[in-house]
Amino acid sequence: MTLNALRRLVKKDAGPFLYPGEEIRPSKRASRVSLHGTQKRHVEMGRTRLVVAAGLFACAFSLVGFRLVDLMLLDGGEPPVTTARRAATAEFEESRADIVDRNGVLLATNLPTVNLYAHPYKIGDPATAARRIVEVLPDLSFDDVHRKLASGSKFVYLDRNLTPREKLEINALGIVGVDFEDAERRVYPQGALASHVVGATDLDNNGIAGLEASLNETLSQGGEPVRVALDVRVQHAVREELAYAMAKFRAVGATGIVLDSKTGELISMVSLPDYDPEHIGDATEDQRFNRATLGVYEMGSTFKLFNTAMALDSGRIGPSDQYDVENPIRVARFTIRDHHPEKGDMSVADILVNSSNIGSVRMVMELGTEAQQKFLDELGLLDPVSLELPENGKPLVPSPWREVNTMTISFGHGIAVTPVHMARATAAMVNGGALTPVTLLKREADEVPPGRAVISPQTSQRMRELMRMVVTDGTAGKADVPGYRVGGKTGTADKVSAAGGYAHRAVRTSFAGAFPMDNPRYVLLVVLDEPQSTKDTYGFITSGWNAAPTAGRIVARIAPTLGVFPSFVPQGPVVRPERRPMDLIQAAAARGTDAIAD
Amino acid sequence: MSEFLSPRLRRGDMTFGEKLWQVSWSLVFFISLIAGVGFLMLYSAANGAWDPWASRQMVRYAVGLGVMLVIAMIDVRQLMRWAYPIYGVVFVLLVGVEVRGSIGMGAQRWIDLGFFQLQPSELMKVALVLALARYFHGASLEDVGRPFYLVPPMLMVFAPAALVLKQPDLGTALMLIAGSGVIFFMAGVRLWKFGVVLGLAVAAVPIAWGFLRDYQKARVLTFLNPENDPLGTGYHILQSKIALGSGGVFGKGFLQGTQSHLNFLPERQTDFIFTMMAEEFGMAGGLVLLALYVVVLIYGFAIAIRSRHQFGRLVAIGITTTFFLYIFINIAMVMGLIPVVGVPLPLISYGGTAMLTLMIGFGCLMSVHVHRDVQMGRRGGYEEP
Repeated sequence: MTLNALRRLVKKDAGPFLYPGEEIRPSKRASRVSLHGTQKRHVEMGRTRLVVAAGLFACAFSLVGFRLVDLMLLDGGEPPVTTARRAATAEFEESRADIVDRNGVLLATNLPTVNLYAHPYKIGDPATAARRIVEVLPDLSFDDVHRKLASGSKFVYLDRNLTPREKLEINALGIVGVDFEDAERRVYPQGALASHVVGATDLDNNGIAGLEASLNETLSQGGEPVRVALDVRVQHAVREELAYAMAKFRAVGATGIVLDSKTGELISMVSLPDYDPEHIGDATEDQRFNRATLGVYEMGSTFKLFNTAMALDSGRIGPSDQYDVENPIRVARFTIRDHHPEKGDMSVADILVNSSNIGSVRMVMELGTEAQQKFLDELGLLDPVSLELPENGKPLVPSPWREVNTMTISFGHGIAVTPVHMARATAAMVNGGALTPVTLLKREADEVPPGRAVISPQTSQRMRELMRMVVTDGTAGKADVPGYRVGGKTGTADKVSAAGGYAHRAVRTSFAGAFPMDNPRYVLLVVLDEPQSTKDTYGFITSGWNAAPTAGRIVARIAPTLGVFPSFVPQGPVVRPERRPMDLIQAAAARGTDAIAD
Repeated sequence: MSEFLSPRLRRGDMTFGEKLWQVSWSLVFFISLIAGVGFLMLYSAANGAWDPWASRQMVRYAVGLGVMLVIAMIDVRQLMRWAYPIYGVVFVLLVGVEVRGSIGMGAQRWIDLGFFQLQPSELMKVALVLALARYFHGASLEDVGRPFYLVPPMLMVFAPAALVLKQPDLGTALMLIAGSGVIFFMAGVRLWKFGVVLGLAVAAVPIAWGFLRDYQKARVLTFLNPENDPLGTGYHILQSKIALGSGGVFGKGFLQGTQSHLNFLPERQTDFIFTMMAEEFGMAGGLVLLALYVVVLIYGFAIAIRSRHQFGRLVAIGITTTFFLYIFINIAMVMGLIPVVGVPLPLISYGGTAMLTLMIGFGCLMSVHVHRDVQMGRRGGYEEP
């Protein structure tokens, strides 16, 4: 190539692209190009259409460009990550809240498990699939699984709550159309221990008994554990002693309640027989029946506590007033007599200590039916207890309330209340006279509602002394525990027989008490249903021989746990720090008293 | 000036040196620039190594560049003369794939030539453009207006498209049809005829749905709602969107893309390479690459306008359209604008056949440019006006 040729080439007209876009300029030479015929029309139309095509391409590129900006700067209007996360967890329900005792020990919690389900319409060979599944899960019946798989429906549950090993093995079968669903199973680490308080749930984790049912709404929302008033250590001791008593006395049932008399918290509540909440379906009706809150019973002589308190609180009867206990009382077709007839008269205190029916009736007759009705109403014995349970029994109250009812109620017959009623009223006897609402949920010190005064503090003090006397001198001697100053009252009520009237040798024995008696903190109620006599009881079936000693054993076990400090009467010579001039003190005291008297 | 219309130029009597001078070197520069971006991204895709992708891609580009220049030197009239035979050969190859091709990734697309895995469906993109351009070169508007005149080119389009669809390769089939549609349009086919074909196509959708493979159906359904199966068929596109969204304005930096380097992003060296690039260089990088592509497309249009013969114009438009479709389908796909179809990003995605196809195409484009002023008769020969 010569230099000349090169120079000629560089000339613009025939030159190459010198800069980008040069060729897009409108050609100055276009008009000088002579085109004709089809060529010319082609070129004209071709150019128009070229512009159209270029425009379309430009639109497409703008679209892509905008989308790029949209995705990278404006997040594309959709957050893909969160969407994916939501999709992955959509089927998983919120956890049900745990239930713990007053110290935080787990009573009910959740265990993640998987449920096995199938899409039967996807399963090619139901018979083979069913056979292989049953090999891994022998609890399932082949016929049942085969019927489900062959149904051709869209969805069917095969089994619930598989263990990880079962899940692994089912997975390893590789059956198409069989899949797992995340689930939760309610578990009760303490087993039957608090079954009547905590309750149970059904397969879908809905509460069907106890707190699980009454607090279902709250629990199903998840969140903080629900803290109940129970103390599992106390609950365990109470349940174990009751079970022992049931076995020893061949009783059909037993109830135990430990109530904090100051705060109204139920530290323990046991109703035997009970059930394993995880297998509530297998429980009998008797096991599911909550004797502590749903059962209403005639309490027998323990009711004399209230009769005595009513008499003392009326101001018309003093503890040393005498009543005739020798002559039985005849009213209508009944004759009221005592188990251990005594001669002559007896003081109000002795009537309680010796549990005289005749004396109790004579006391209440002096006060009248209306006073009794009013007093029992104030003690909350005529209306259901508002406890946080679905199982709340309504007391059986005589209607109309005749004189004969007044008489029998004075010694605990003719009125039926739940053990919780009994424990709450007993608490009012010993805590200074206030009826505090009871609860199964833990109360902080500032959450305790003020109680309603039902007896005066003086009467309450007198009741403490009398209850202690019943244990030291009366029928409840076997309830005493050295150092813990137990006080209480026994009761033995004839059970109503199926034939009507009272059965002969079928009784319900009870002990309602409190400890330590100088400043009672805890109320204890023990009820045994149909205890039998043993060699140890010399043929007796009264409360003093079964309920009272059971109560004693319970106190011996729970009092240290509850922090009750024992006190013993000093056995040896006591070293006193210093002798005070006693005569001077007594003289000063005498002067003070005189001054007040003046 | 007068030289412009000289018979010598119209006859195309140019020396080899003149032709080489006429090659649009600025276009070659832009193409190389894009390819260079591709090398960088392949280097990054291999976590900062030339092996296994970037080095081989560079060799292929060098070979492709040579092929392009050789084709650029071929007289455009020779291209026209050989257009039908080329189309015939590629068509036979396509049938050959159908008969005995190797199966890769669930589709039958390759012919093993020993040293090279040939994908005839890619070559068909260029061959079809040449054949259609030749067919319409001599057509008068009256010819184009006759419906029966359009039957042979329609066959030329739909026969290979059907074969490709059967492989199955939905993306390439759509590209063949769409690219040809633009050539038809440029040739002067009336708009209402496109309407008719489009209407028939829409009517055929329910029938075609039955012929689609399950994975193709899944892709379309996933496109309509990618979130309904985030770990399955929707995985690609969701990961792609996450990577794009995480890029921001200026990206995470070269070799710093977390989504791609931690293997969240599938196929990052081929179909989803744009996503990786946008993650590492951000929105700015993505837009710059788009701009480079636009420049090349403008060159294509400019060459089409400057061409004095219908064949050259149609070839230029056809090649440009094919190039455009590559870009648009790929980028729109990774952004979730259209369903996932296996179309590479031109000059950047790793892959030999696509690169070769493009360079052959650019060679034809360049040939048209070099021989823009030659005069061609209806049959391709020189005719005195």
